Amino acid sequence: MTSRRARRFLLAAAAAATGASLASLAASGGHDPAGESPSRAPGPAVALAPPAEPAFSVPAPETLQPSRFESTWASVRSAAVVRAAPRRGAAVVGHLDRRTPEGTTNIVLTRHRAKDSQGSLWVRVSVPALPASVTGWVPRAALGGYGVVRTQLVVDLGDLQLTLYRAGKAIFRAPVGIGTAQFPTPKGDFYVRNKLARYRNAFYGPLAFGTSARSATLTDWPAGGFVGIHGTNRPDLLPGRVSHGCIRLRNEDIVRLARLLPIGTPLRIRA
Amino acid sequence: MPDRVTLRVPDPEAAARALWADNEATSRERLIQRAIAAGATLVAGGVVIAGLPRLAASAQSPEQDVEIFNFALLLEYTQAAFYAETVERAELTGELFEFAKVVANHERAHVDYLLEALGSDARDEPVTDFGNATGDPDAFGPAAATLEDVAVAAYNGQAANLTKGALQAAATIISVDARHAAWIRSIIGEPPAADAVDAPLTAEEATSRLAETGFLPEEQL
Amino acid sequence: MTLHDFDDLRLDHLDRDGALRQAADNLERTSRAGFLAVAAGSVAAAAALARPQAASAQLATSDVAILNYALTLEYLQDAFYTEAERKGALSGPAAQLARVVGAVERAHVKALRNVLGKKAVKRPFFDFRGVTEDPPQFTRTAVAFEDLGTAAYKGQAHRIKSPEVLAAAVGIHSVEARHAAWIRYIAGTPPAAEPFDEGKAMPETLRLVRATGFVVGRPRTGARGAPRFTG
Repeated sequence: MTSRRARRFLLAAAAAATGASLASLAASGGHDPAGESPSRAPGPAVALAPPAEPAFSVPAPETLQPSRFESTWASVRSAAVVRAAPRRGAAVVGHLDRRTPEGTTNIVLTRHRAKDSQGSLWVRVSVPALPASVTGWVPRAALGGYGVVRTQLVVDLGDLQLTLYRAGKAIFRAPVGIGTAQFPTPKGDFYVRNKLARYRNAFYGPLAFGTSARSATLTDWPAGGFVGIHGTNRPDLLPGRVSHGCIRLRNEDIVRLARLLPIGTPLRIRA
Repeated sequence: MPDRVTLRVPDPEAAARALWADNEATSRERLIQRAIAAGATLVAGGVVIAGLPRLAASAQSPEQDVEIFNFALLLEYTQAAFYAETVERAELTGELFEFAKVVANHERAHVDYLLEALGSDARDEPVTDFGNATGDPDAFGPAAATLEDVAVAAYNGQAANLTKGALQAAATIISVDARHAAWIRSIIGEPPAADAVDAPLTAEEATSRLAETGFLPEEQL
Repeated sequence: MTLHDFDDLRLDHLDRDGALRQAADNLERTSRAGFLAVAAGSVAAAAALARPQAASAQLATSDVAILNYALTLEYLQDAFYTEAERKGALSGPAAQLARVVGAVERAHVKALRNVLGKKAVKRPFFDFRGVTEDPPQFTRTAVAFEDLGTAAYKGQAHRIKSPEVLAAAVGIHSVEARHAAWIRYIAGTPPAAEPFDEGKAMPETLRLVRATGFVVGRPRTGARGAPRFTG
């Protein structure tokens, strides 16, 4: 028994049917009421089992929507000198540390890219400094992987309010305590770079976010005098100008914020 | 080269009976009527594409492998002949011709592999008529893309019906045909890979697509 | 391009929550008897599997492992092309490929996460070390990724238990092969060098992926210990 015989078998069956073109079968809406069949022989294809139904479908591919609300951060792989221009020997404008004072992996906000005359890649980054954040260039090799966020954190010093935006839409708002006139919270563009939790210190509440913002006045503060966003054991003082520069939230608010705020989110502190 | 797959000889009459649970000769009309009774949709061209009863024979078997491989052989024979004729006519030039030469070798290798796997069960080589598609640079590209696409979709449709050994072998061929398809599209300036998924075709649909090319006389299909 | 054989990195780097190691272990030592069998050929099973949300409860453990393996490779490709497009260092055909193929790989990730549900492995963190920002390196790496993706799907096809999962997987496998030919064409290397494409087994594929060094631990930006902020 061979496939040749199989084909003859099926061909014989088709030949027994009266002829009608495929077109007329289609024109009659599929079923031919006169009982005629198309002359096309079924062939071996008819004998094959149908395909299995795929277990899942794939959605239509979507183009990337470039978003003006996107920011990119990079982890720091190795300590590096930050230079004014993307080339070796350019003026030093700052330093990039591998770790934050809290011991977490340091991250930086990244901007543009450039190649030097040797074809090496440099990246423009924003690093914490005083009196204000510094922007400069580091070799790509000093950085690790990139992360992208669509969120922005805004602290209004005048309104004593913190707002978290996602893709431009406000998704969280809370009253805050900010620095006194003597120890003001710095204004400017910064970013959230780490999160501390599971410590026992009621002064800071249940958890705290570290930022790249530094107090301009507490320059001798241990661990660099960085401004954090944290809870408090004095919610009665909020909203108010009460801190040494940190941004304080009620404990229930910082816990809620922690579910929504990714590390690397840019922070704007404005008047 | 994939491992040689030994396929056993099927008993076609028994197979047909098992498929249709019917002791009579099955005419195409009866096939359509059964399908409609089972809730199938008949589309233009008389191709039944949905609702065919899930056949007991969808459990894999060496006999079914033979049927499937023979269908694959029809497609590979057609492709091999298409490219061989293109090379022989030598009317194409440049990148198109280089493509045809390389792919002709690949498709010949696919045919040789299937012939070896099928042994005496192998179907006959079909008679083909490619018209100007093997000589006209504007007709060649789309024709090649169609033949490769139909092969990929037909293989994808039968993948779950093959035994695991046959599937492993077939998979080494499917992706090469898919490469060919993207390659020729790149050459002729069409999107090489527009879809997220290559949808499977039933054997009937694949046959229908092949019939539409006009490259094979109807009695071969 | 050859992916260098670095000293073997531990699977831990790839697999923070252990799911992938579990998946690989399961795949290596599974046997037929122990699994939930999808009732192949039954209309009810076929209908249920047509609703992907319900699928993961009916999938064999080894099929879950294979789908998670596929998802890991799709995560890698998604991240690679998406980052390349965002960085904007590419131009011409390579940029077009990154846009189109990136969109497809993102769709693959969505589909696999959807069918796996809670059993999906987490998205890893990647450091592409400038490769997405350098056109020649991008092209060479994309060739390697697409060839590898094709070989990886092919290597698993015959191990998939569910006919429905297999039907879905082969539909993606041939698309990866198209990508491979496309990027090779752009790279000026033969889109289809051989008449037969060989598959790759899971351990070999994962070894190659680890060797790239692209999959890294998520940077540790969290810590314990009381803050020393200004307060």
